[in-house]
Amino acid sequence: MNKTVRQGRLPKWLLWSLITIVLWGTWGLVSKVASTGMDAYVNQLLYTAGLTPLLVFVALTVRKRGSQDPRENRAIGVFWAFFTGILGGVGNFFFFQAMVVGGKASVIAPVTALFPMITVLLALSFLHERLGRVQWVGLALAFVAIYLLSA
Amino acid sequence: MHLWLGFAITALVLWGATGVTQKLSTNRISSERSFLWFCWAMVALSAAVLVVARPRWEMGMLATSCSIAGGALNGLGAWTSFRALESGGKASIVISLISLYPLLTVLLAVLLLGERLTGMQTAGAITAIAAAILLSMEASPKTTA
Repeated sequence: MNKTVRQGRLPKWLLWSLITIVLWGTWGLVSKVASTGMDAYVNQLLYTAGLTPLLVFVALTVRKRGSQDPRENRAIGVFWAFFTGILGGVGNFFFFQAMVVGGKASVIAPVTALFPMITVLLALSFLHERLGRVQWVGLALAFVAIYLLSA
Repeated sequence: MHLWLGFAITALVLWGATGVTQKLSTNRISSERSFLWFCWAMVALSAAVLVVARPRWEMGMLATSCSIAGGALNGLGAWTSFRALESGGKASIVISLISLYPLLTVLLAVLLLGERLTGMQTAGAITAIAAAILLSMEASPKTTA
């Protein structure tokens, strides 16, 4: 009986993945509602306010665990993380602005979710990674999707 | 080209670049420390916005609540996606599965905001989600050889 229950239980990774879908899916909706009542600058400021409790939690976790990162790599790693935040934040601004100027959440969310196409292209150029056939098909489909969504 | 599309594509390009910079970061430091500095950059960017831009502070309670909730939802989503990967999920499966999130946004926007998609846009949304899933799949040694 116990075994059956255990077998029927969702694996943890699947549960966390489903929670992520709910959180990010809802983010698209609330971003549109927010964008109807404020400009993209204020939206980014309040967005950061919403992020702050998590920042405090992660800061405490990192402090508690201490650092196992090699010292010589830490500064470069931190630089790239910080740069990632700047790119992400400016990206957020344009995401909000797309909604402020009247874009529909139901169209902007699928368009912006195509961001892995840029990651794949940059990884190809700068990290010299190779693409599989499936990813090439995905890349082609991404261009088709943007054309269809902009119609 | 629609103005909103130009902004959305700019967001797509910037977020796409983060895929590479994040990897350059997590190759050297833990994902937690990387996420922490990602958040600090958001704070620094907001400080710059306060100084440089002239935000218009005229907004209602609903918009304010939704914006703050947005930060919390997106941040928590990043956190839970890390947890999914740490809990033994294969990266290609977890990331492909998470790529389904726009489906929920489309559903909620149609149901709660009364948005309507044209036939072309519906086909585009489905194609976009399929593309995001395929792009997230790891290349197998066979296909890259």
